[in-house]
Amino acid sequence: MTAAQNAFFVLVTLAVALGVSLASIAYFRRVTLPRPAVGAFNGNDMVIMMGFVVVLPFLYLSLPGWLLPPVLGLTLAGGLAVGYGPVVRRGAVRWSLIAGLLVADWLTARSADDDPTHATPYWLVNSLVIMLMAVGAANLNAQGGLKLRHVSRFALALAIYDLFFATVVPLTQKLFDAVQGYAFAPSAGLRIGEFGAVVGMGDLLVYALFTTVAYKAYGRQGLVLALCLVAVFGALAPTLAPVTVEALTGHLPKIVPAQIFFGPAAFVGYLVLRRSGPERRMADVRPPARLAPADGELPAHEELETAGPRTRP
Amino acid sequence: MVLAAHPGMAGNLDGQGRTMFDAGIRQFRMALAMVLGRPINVRSAEKLVDDALATLAEFGSPGEDVEQLLRGAAADPQMRTDLTNKALRRTAKRLVAKSPFYADHFAAARVDPAALTVENITAVPVTTKADLVERARDFLCSEPFLASRTTGTTGRPTEVWYSRYEERLWPALVALSQVLRGTVRTTDLVQFNISSRATGTAYAEMQVARLSGAAIRMVGLVPPAETLDLMTGTGPSAPTLMVTYPSYLGQLTRLARERGLGPADFRLRRINVGSEVLSPALAEASEKTFGAPVHDGYGMTEVTPVAGAICRQRHLHIDAGIGLVEVCDLDTGAPAAPGALGTIVATPFFPYRECMPLFRYDTRDLVRQLPDAPLTCEMANVPATSHILGKADHVLRTQDGPVTPRQVIEVLDALPGACWPVRHRADVVDGRLHVEVAASSVPETSDIARHFAEAGLDVTVDVVPGEGRELRRYRCDLVENSFASAGRAA
Repeated sequence: MTAAQNAFFVLVTLAVALGVSLASIAYFRRVTLPRPAVGAFNGNDMVIMMGFVVVLPFLYLSLPGWLLPPVLGLTLAGGLAVGYGPVVRRGAVRWSLIAGLLVADWLTARSADDDPTHATPYWLVNSLVIMLMAVGAANLNAQGGLKLRHVSRFALALAIYDLFFATVVPLTQKLFDAVQGYAFAPSAGLRIGEFGAVVGMGDLLVYALFTTVAYKAYGRQGLVLALCLVAVFGALAPTLAPVTVEALTGHLPKIVPAQIFFGPAAFVGYLVLRRSGPERRMADVRPPARLAPADGELPAHEELETAGPRTRP
Repeated sequence: MVLAAHPGMAGNLDGQGRTMFDAGIRQFRMALAMVLGRPINVRSAEKLVDDALATLAEFGSPGEDVEQLLRGAAADPQMRTDLTNKALRRTAKRLVAKSPFYADHFAAARVDPAALTVENITAVPVTTKADLVERARDFLCSEPFLASRTTGTTGRPTEVWYSRYEERLWPALVALSQVLRGTVRTTDLVQFNISSRATGTAYAEMQVARLSGAAIRMVGLVPPAETLDLMTGTGPSAPTLMVTYPSYLGQLTRLARERGLGPADFRLRRINVGSEVLSPALAEASEKTFGAPVHDGYGMTEVTPVAGAICRQRHLHIDAGIGLVEVCDLDTGAPAAPGALGTIVATPFFPYRECMPLFRYDTRDLVRQLPDAPLTCEMANVPATSHILGKADHVLRTQDGPVTPRQVIEVLDALPGACWPVRHRADVVDGRLHVEVAASSVPETSDIARHFAEAGLDVTVDVVPGEGRELRRYRCDLVENSFASAGRAA
């Protein structure tokens, strides 16, 4: 890897990692997602999510090659429709935009397949789709009451997962080989000629999630720390690692499991933030609206009071 | 180069794509059990209460569609009818298979449980209190756990058995509803002033408090002065919620006024009453004295968990998802016409009722069928009747038409200086309404007939000397003395 290639790799990764984190913060500050009547994210949810993380790659790899893009495309379409419902409220417009994006992704992927020199438009479109997806998913979780405690443990679990499936069982490599070049590949980045940098969607999700939940939990202090961690351990460390390994061993690794750097750092970051006090709740960030008392009701009649069946003598 | 590829947005999304796997799975399981009529996983229902508490702790309020969760999706009328018919058949088939009484009952009526619908249900004769008293054991359908005896105000007490499943399920459902509606909070101290004979209610109330994180003080129907001592104050030992009977509330209100107490002397934020007629005059006086709204509810030991609430237009709304509620004409037993008086006939559905279920139980609770017009109250999506008007057997048939106990009580409770509960007896003499009132209940006795006339009731009035306890029994008469109140050292 030349110095120029390495610089390209570092800068693009840094831009994508910080870009998705900041976009997620902007989304969090401006958009309020609807939430179910009952339910706040808890530790069990993270365990279930981890289960999906483990199982889905095997599912993807078990699919025939021709079926993988449609499955990924449908997943992305569903995710974007959910995440951007409050942004583009008219369903027809929202679905038209999603369809337009996915069609563009598919067409540019086909074009790049025919002529690799046309890969740049594909990477731009695909990166946009994947980053939008990561921002929406991060906010669904963050606005669902996810705590930084949960995210930091999730990141730590992903670090172990990444290490295991990148070294012991080469699942990550297989998945990378399976989806690269296909439309809707779950990764973002840029390829221009011999220059290339790609970040997996899962990593982007973790960066966006950690940053957003850190902001929710500890405000500006949490945001600054999270962005620093994303920049250093989510972008710089993983991108500088290959050249370091190459210099030491003479072998350039094809993929680097980024979470082995970011997971422990995120966990330590949480421990540091925790020293400043308990995490803020969504109610602290966005206080619920109080219902005005109905005509004729006593002042003591407090919020959330609606008539309804109750325990009776 | 790929750093990693994780399927980050995988998950079980609900209709609007919101991910809370754990709580979502529980809600789905409970909804499925309700729709299919299978036993509800009690542990899952209890954990849903934890989910609701966690939701309030994180967000400060439940999500936007909380009413949909509590009342079910607003299905179209045909779908609701289909679900009701299925629930009826399911309940009837189980009863015929497990209850000797209902095996005989359906056989005698020559009704096929599998063919029941809301249209032909009147082919099944109502179950009466006499049936329940005489053949109590023949109603048992599963292993009994807890017996609850009625107070017997209308004659012999009735004993109803509940199973362990029921005594865990109902509190979970009630706690979920109350937590989401904010009617109980983790910071609440509930004071329970109900007869200790109402074991089912007492047990359920304790479980509701436990599940919802509130504290509860089981006081019982001790002398009102003792209760008032416990209620007074604004510190953490003073109750924020109270559950009692209207007659006992009347005594407390009177005593509090005698002591010169007002809203500033209490911490109450809500008072729930039921089982007796609550008049607007007493409700208003109590609210002014204690500084907390008084909420009237409807429920009955025999048909639990079928229960109702009173809206601001004073309709009684009973959730149709838990059971079928009919209003039957007092004379013919047919469905009461709009505007007519009727008795509530209730059928709790399986799986909400398991141990001693009743089918078409005639509660003798008197209501008036509402006019056949769309409701405009805040609970318009729940079927409604008039407020409870008393017991069907206490309707007075005067020459001017029927007079309900509520009509009499509302006039008496609103008399100037009335001492609640107003001791009285109403009867019909020569076609006219005749009311005897205890002198101790009404300091001003000269103008009582005029007050009745203003309410449209032609009445003759006698004022009876003394306390008049023999005139009318109230639940507050089930007083439970302590050594302290009896004047002895414990």
